[in-house]
Amino acid sequence: MEKLINDLKVQLIEALNLEEITPEEIDAEAPLFGDGLGLDSIDALEIILILEKQYGLRIENPAEAKPIFYSVRTLAEYIEKNRK
Amino acid sequence: MGSGVSNIAYVGATNVISSVGFTTEECFNALERYVSGIVPVDDPLLYEHPFLAAQVDWQRLSAMAQAAGLDCYTGTERMMILSIKDVLEQSGISLASKDAAVIFSSTKGNVDLLSQSVEVLDEGAYLWKMAQRVAGYFNAFNKPEVISNACISGVSATVIASRLVREGVYRHVVVVGADILTRFVVSGFSAFKSVSSRPCTPYDANRDGLTLGEGCATILITSDKKLSCGVAVEGGAITNDANHISGPSRTGDGLCYAIQQAMEENDLTSEDISFINAHGTATPFNDEMESKAIALVGLSAVPVNSLKPYFGHTLGASGLIETVMCVEMLKHGVVIGTKGFAELGVPEPIVVSGVHQPISNMVRCVKTASGFGGCNGAVVLALEGHSKAIKVKENGGTAQHIGSCQIADGKVVVDGSVVFEAGGDFAEFIRGAFKHLEAPNMKFYKMDNLCKLGYLAAEYLLKDKKYASLDLGIILANRSSSLDTDINHQRILNEHSEAGASPAVFVYTLPNVVLGEICIRHKIQGENTFFINEDRSDSFLESYARMVLERSQYKAVIYGWCELLGNDYQAELVIIEKK
Repeated sequence: MEKLINDLKVQLIEALNLEEITPEEIDAEAPLFGDGLGLDSIDALEIILILEKQYGLRIENPAEAKPIFYSVRTLAEYIEKNRK
Repeated sequence: MGSGVSNIAYVGATNVISSVGFTTEECFNALERYVSGIVPVDDPLLYEHPFLAAQVDWQRLSAMAQAAGLDCYTGTERMMILSIKDVLEQSGISLASKDAAVIFSSTKGNVDLLSQSVEVLDEGAYLWKMAQRVAGYFNAFNKPEVISNACISGVSATVIASRLVREGVYRHVVVVGADILTRFVVSGFSAFKSVSSRPCTPYDANRDGLTLGEGCATILITSDKKLSCGVAVEGGAITNDANHISGPSRTGDGLCYAIQQAMEENDLTSEDISFINAHGTATPFNDEMESKAIALVGLSAVPVNSLKPYFGHTLGASGLIETVMCVEMLKHGVVIGTKGFAELGVPEPIVVSGVHQPISNMVRCVKTASGFGGCNGAVVLALEGHSKAIKVKENGGTAQHIGSCQIADGKVVVDGSVVFEAGGDFAEFIRGAFKHLEAPNMKFYKMDNLCKLGYLAAEYLLKDKKYASLDLGIILANRSSSLDTDINHQRILNEHSEAGASPAVFVYTLPNVVLGEICIRHKIQGENTFFINEDRSDSFLESYARMVLERSQYKAVIYGWCELLGNDYQAELVIIEKK
C-alpha cells in the first residue's frame, strides 16, 4: 500500500504538472481538491486517465469519482480493491 | 467618429451549409419539420468507436466544389467559398470593392492538415493563411480579419462586424464561420467526457452532454438599407466569466453582463425581447449556468431555445449558423422547439419548449454563446420596422497610452526598461521571469507555453494597476493561434491513439484561453477577443481597441500581440486608458 501511495504521488506530480512539489510534501490523507493542492475539474479528468492507463480501471460516471478522488489514500484503496 | 446617430447594421443575404441543408431556406425548412442532422458516424478516421454527430453531406459538397472548380482548396475552405459565393450572388456585392471586408470565425480551421504530419507544418494550418486563400478566391480588396474565440467566435464576429458597419469603417462586412469534424476535435471532447451517447437534449432533466456537429454560415452585415433582409443587428457585447478556463461560471454573471450590455446599447427592457436563442450545448454545467444568467438579467419569462439538437455543436460556426436561424425565426414569427426537450432540468425556471411556438407580436431576439476561456457573447437582432438607430454614446475622452510590456529574446521590458533578463530556452527563461515577480501561483505551471507568455506579460503590465472587473477589456492577436499546443495534442493522438488524449492539453488548443487565464488572474470581465494575423504590424488591432474603449463604459483596454511557436516567442502588450 505504501509503495502504491508513493507511485501515485509521483504519477500525480507528473500528470498534473505539480512543479516544485515533492512526493514527501503531499499528505496522503489530505483532500486533493479545493485547498491543499488546488486541483480542479481538468485535473480530475487527468486522474481518470491515470487510472485507465496505469491501472486499467475505468470510471464510467465522473459523478461516482468524488469519494474515490478525496485523497491519495482513498485513490490507492480504490486501486487496491479493484485491480485484477 | 463624431457624436450623433450611427449607421444601422442591417442583416443582408445569408447562407448556411450544415447537416440539414446547404442554404438558409433548406436549413430552416428542416427545422420547421423537426429534422435533425444528428446521425451515427462510423469512421475510424474521425474516431475509433462509432459516435453520434451532425455531419455535412460531403458527397454533395464535393460535387458542388468540383463544379465550381475548387479542387485545390481544403474541405473547410470549399465550404466557406461556396457559402460566401451564395451570399455575394444574392446581394450583388463584390469583396473586390474598397468598402467591403470579410471577417472569418473559426476555432480550428484546417486543423485536419496536422494529421498528415506534425513534423512539417502545412502552411494551410495557419488560420490567417486559410482566410487569405478564401479571400483570395474573391479577389478581396481588404485584408481579411480572423477571430478565434472558442465557441463564441461566430457571435464575436457578428458583434465586431456590426460595430464596423455602424461606425462606417466599412459599408459591407461579410462574416463567414466554419468548423468541421476532425479526429482532433472528437477525441478532445471525448477526453473531456462531455459527449453524450444520445442526441443532445439541452435544458432537459436527462441531458448528459453535447453532440458535435460541423458546418458553415455566412452573413452580410451592411449599412445599405436596400440590401436588408428585414432584420438589423441592434447591439452586441462580449464578456468574460473570470472563473475557470473550461468550467462554466457557477453564477452566470459573465453571460448576464453580456446580455445586459447588448440590451443597454438600445435601452431595451425584458418586454422588448421576444425570445432568446441560447448556446444550449446540453452539458450539465453549461445549461445550468445559462439558466442562472437568464434569471440574473431578468429574462426568466422570455421563451428560450437551443438549436444544438438539429445542428449539433458546430463550434466556431455555431454562433453564425444559429444567428442566421434567429433571423428566420424573427421573420417567420416562430420560436423553433428545442427538439427532444421533455422536462426542465436546470436550477432556474426558464421557458423552454420541445415544440415550435408561434409568436404573434415578434419583435426582437437575443442570441448568446459561451465558450472555453470563460468567454460569453450576446447579440440583439430586431425586425426592421422595430429597430431604432442607435444613439452614439460618448463615453468620455480619447484613448491614452499608459503602459506597455514586451517579452522577447530573453528579456522582459516594462515601459521601455529591461526588468528581467535570462538565457536558455523558453521554458527556462519563462520560469525565471515568473519567479522574479515573486507572485506565486500553482496554476502557472499547468498552463501551456502560449498562456505562460501572455499571463506573464499581463502580470508585469498590471503590476501596480487596479481596475474593477467591468472596467477593463483585453484584445490580443497572434500569428500561430494555439498551433504549438495543437501539434502536441495531434502528436499524442498519432502516437497513443484517442485513448491517450489529455484534457489538460486539449483545453489549451484555443488561442483565447490565454485571455481566460489573464481574466481569471486579474478578475477582468470586459470584452475579450482574440484575432489571428499574419504579422504584428497590423494596425487594425490598435484601431479596434481604441474603438472599443471610446464606445464603451470601460476605463481601460489592453491590446497587443502574444505569439509562440516552439522556441520562438514574442509578447507585446499595451494598456490604454480614457483621458
